[in-house]
Order: sequence, then C-alpha cells, then structure tokens
Amino acid sequence: MAYNSFPYLCIFLPLCWVAWAVLPQRYRPAALLGGSLVFYWLTAGTYTVWLLLAAALTWALGLGLGRLQQLQEAALPGLDKPARKEAKHQFAALQRGMVTAGVIGLLGLLIWLKYLPFLVRTLNSALSLLPFAWQVAAPSFVQPLGLSFFTLMALSYLFDVRRGTTQPAEHYWQVLLYLSFWPHVVEGPFDRWAQISPALLNPPKPNYRAFTFGVQRILWGMMKKLIIADRANMYVKAVFDNWPSYSGSAVVVATLLYTLQLYAEFSGCMDMVLGAAECFGVPLAENFRQPFFASSVSEFWRRWHITLGAWLREYLFQPVIVSKPMMRFGKWCRTRFGAALGRSLPVWAGLLLTWLAIGLWHGAGWLYVVYGLYYFLLQWLGEVAEPTLLRLCPSLPRWRTRRWYKLWQALRTFVLVNFGMLLFRSNGTRAALEMLASLRRPYEGSLLIKLDAQDLWVLVIGALVLLAVDLLHERGIAIRESIARRPLPLRWAIYCGGMLAVMIFGAYGDNYDPAAFIYAQF
Amino acid sequence: MHTLDEIMKILAEVKPGIEAEPDTELVRTGILDSVDIMSVVMALAEEFDLEISPLDLKEENFHTPNAILDLVNRLDD
Repeated sequence: MAYNSFPYLCIFLPLCWVAWAVLPQRYRPAALLGGSLVFYWLTAGTYTVWLLLAAALTWALGLGLGRLQQLQEAALPGLDKPARKEAKHQFAALQRGMVTAGVIGLLGLLIWLKYLPFLVRTLNSALSLLPFAWQVAAPSFVQPLGLSFFTLMALSYLFDVRRGTTQPAEHYWQVLLYLSFWPHVVEGPFDRWAQISPALLNPPKPNYRAFTFGVQRILWGMMKKLIIADRANMYVKAVFDNWPSYSGSAVVVATLLYTLQLYAEFSGCMDMVLGAAECFGVPLAENFRQPFFASSVSEFWRRWHITLGAWLREYLFQPVIVSKPMMRFGKWCRTRFGAALGRSLPVWAGLLLTWLAIGLWHGAGWLYVVYGLYYFLLQWLGEVAEPTLLRLCPSLPRWRTRRWYKLWQALRTFVLVNFGMLLFRSNGTRAALEMLASLRRPYEGSLLIKLDAQDLWVLVIGALVLLAVDLLHERGIAIRESIARRPLPLRWAIYCGGMLAVMIFGAYGDNYDPAAFIYAQF
Repeated sequence: MHTLDEIMKILAEVKPGIEAEPDTELVRTGILDSVDIMSVVMALAEEFDLEISPLDLKEENFHTPNAILDLVNRLDD
C-alpha cells in the first residue's frame, strides 16, 4: 500500500484517524499500533513475522539493559572504591554482551537478507580467478519491507538505553509500535525512541491545527511526487535503461531530471510521512533542509537524508574514532608520521568507513561502494586541499562571506552531486563510465524523449516552484503558518488549487507508468 | 585546570587560520564541522591524555572554545 495510493489516502488514513480521534486517550496508542500492523501486513504479508521478531529481541534486550542499570545503581553505593571499580567493570561487560547480542541479531538479519547474495556473488567472482571451478550457490531472498529502517531504529534504541540517555520501554507493544509506526516504517525518517515515544504512548488530543497542517503537507508531498517526480521518471527511465543509445545533452538532461526526480520524490514522500504523523500529533524528525543551498558536499549530506547521516555520525563515525583501537592507531600514526597525520588518519579512516556504510546502505553492490567512495574522495580532497588553497589565495576567507562566492559554491556542489546522481542511477559501474564518456559525443536526436514540450514545461515550472519554496524556507519563512493567517476563502482556494494541480498535472493515465517510491527498496 | 590558551593552540593546529574568541560560535557558524570536531577530539585526547566517550561528543561540548575548555576540565577531574 503506497503512501500515494487511493486505498491509503482515502480509506486507510481516514479510518485510522477517526479510530484514533474517537477513542479515549488511553486507547489511542492501540489505534496507532493496530493501524501500523494492518498497514505492514497489507504491504508485506507474512514478512510481518520478521518485524515482530526484531521488536521482541529489541524489547527484551532493552529491558535487560535497563534492569542491569538499576542493579548497578543499587549495588555501587555500598562498595569501597576497588570493589566499585570491579563491579562497574562487570556490569559494563554484561551490558556490552547484551548490546553485542542485539547487534548480531538485528544486523545479522539485515546482512543475511540484504547483503548475503552480494557477498556470495563477490566470493564467486574471487573463486573464478582460481584454477579450480568451485562456486557457492547464490541465495536469493525477498527483503522484508523497511528492513533497513526498522533495524537501524532498533539499534539506536539499544545504544541509547545502554548509554543511559533514554529509559527502556516496559511493554513489548510499545517497542513494536515504535518500530512499526506506519508513517516511518517504509522510508524513514530514522526516528529516536526518546523523541517520539511521548507522542506515541501518550497521544495528544485531536487538534484542528495539527490536522490541517498535516493534510497540507501530505498534499504538498503529492504534488512533488505526482507532478514532478513521476513525470521526470519517464525521461530518466528511457535514457538510463537504454544508455548506449544516448549521449551528450540527452545524458545531461536525464541526469538533471534524475536529481530533480529523486529530490521531489524522496522529500515529497517525507512530506507525506511527516504530514500523516502530524495529523496524529506525532512529531517525526525532518529529513531534508534545502539541500541544494549547500556550499559543499559534506554540507549537502547534512541537509539531505539528515536522519541517516545523524545516525551514522552518532553510532558509527564518532564511536569508531574514540574507540581504544583507533586511539592506539592515532598514537602509532603520531610516532610515525607526526602530530598532524596522527590526528587526521584515524578521522579519515572513520570517515571512509562511514561513507562506505552510506553507499552500502543504499544497496548491496559494487556500484554503491563506488558511490560511497566518490563522496569520501570529494570530502577528503576538499580537506587536504584547504591549506594549499589558503596559501595560494589569501583572500579566500574574505570571499567566502560574499554572496557571489556562496553562489559559486552552491553551483559547484550541485554539479558534483549530479555526477554522484549519474553514478547512483546508472545500471552498474560500467554503464556509469560509458555514460560519462558519452558526454563528449554530441546528441543529435530530439531531446523530447518520452515527454512532450508541455511535460518539459511542467517540469521546469515545477522545479522553479520547488526552488522558490526552498528559498523561502532557507530565509526562515514558514509557509504553512503564512497560509493559516489568510482568510478562510483564500485558504480553501489554495487547498483546492493544490488538489486541482495534482489532478490536472499529475503524471498518471495511459501514457504514464506509475513509479514506485525509490527509497522504499532500501 | 587547563587554560583557554591551550584550547586555542589546539584549535589553531587543527584549523589553521581560525579566528576565534572564547565565546565564538564554532559549530553553528560552520567553523567546525563533524570531521573537524573529531580532529579536535583526537588532539585533546593526545595532548591531555583524556579518555573521551561517545557521550562526550555532543555538539554543545564544542560550541565555543569555552565549552571545549569546560569539557576538558570535566574529563580531567
């Protein structure tokens, strides 16, 4: 059941909202849990078992970690210093064991179902280089819906309970609701237990403002998805799936349209997700913050898929760098290569690991490894070139405050991101390289591929509207607040205009293929 | 107790050309990003022989040179 489908928008969502709103406050979480399980079952069928098992493991380990914390707090005050130190070590070892069990259980399931076929294919490629013909049978699994999303959310829950920054849930259904909550189970965002559990477990009263704001956001997400993303998909699909037939300007236009498609679709999906949750009074985390205003690729990734970046920064990048082996590695580097490299090399090693994780999170294949490496190299080159740039151009710090330089930085980032998008959408690394090489060959056919001139105009205008809305948000202007202050007839004219725009300009009908949400496959 | 001069020296090593006052916003203004923060962490751990845990890596501990000094003094206690 897709978030933009008729059954979801016109049957499932209204029914859930009515059930949630009419029930007494203490039963509202049950409405959310019931709705979430029905949604997951209708979309994933028997794969719901994996979700139930992951929630059970997360809940049991979280409870165990919380209990250990309580025992530690009760035991320590009566002990002298050496005994306290010893007890702390023992408790820490037990807690580490529990977290390790969670990581093995949850990540193991993810690796088994998502990455094992890729690992076996890689092993077979390596074996084929040997003189004997020995191959491993490649398994093939269907990945449960939202597996990558609920696994990382379950892990963040365990890590936070272990760190003592959040209290564990008492009941199984509470963890199950957190992981299965239908607005975020398919494409995220990666919400934290501490952030959303108050609204999930003690829902607020139905609120007119939250409801209308939520509906507005769903409508805006629909406009992005149906008017822009699904229309751009026609062109993108035609060129990328048949790349040897295209070159030059056709590849450039297809890449630009793919960037537009992915942004409109993923941010549009987040608008539908956050809008739906807002109707139920649940504040999910924002996943986008005007990414195309970024001045560097690292800033771009702090504005694009924000919650994935934050998850990896908090639970992978930072812990890896301050881990004892990495600190020892830093000391070793310092004695061998000096203070500067002793500091930098462990940080770069952690960053490389994080970019590889970002690449592989998007898919199990070498293309995604290359995709992660591409961004790592860009960030690394930017950092190592900085001292040289400052030496060559002492005015650089002053320029960086100027508007023209910021515009240049944003344009440079946009171009670099588009190369990344070409890599990401292409059908493998070889196809990506061939498409890049084809940019030198002029394209002599018509640029109206699968779309007519009217479609292209709709896309251009749609892109300009997106840009204008992002510009207003970048300047701190809250558009929905502004609409809410208008007189009732004007407000309704805006809502009706939005709905009409979706109906008139939405890409559906005989000439269009309905496109599935891209991030749902991750 | 450590001093602000020690923190400023480390910041200048990690980020050459940095111009910061004790209360200059380092993170919000983009002077330090997450990679720079980790380089500062490595330098602090090495210079002052500190054991820094992931829980100490909250952004608010690196907002200003004064905040970094507070963190170092707290960890050294």
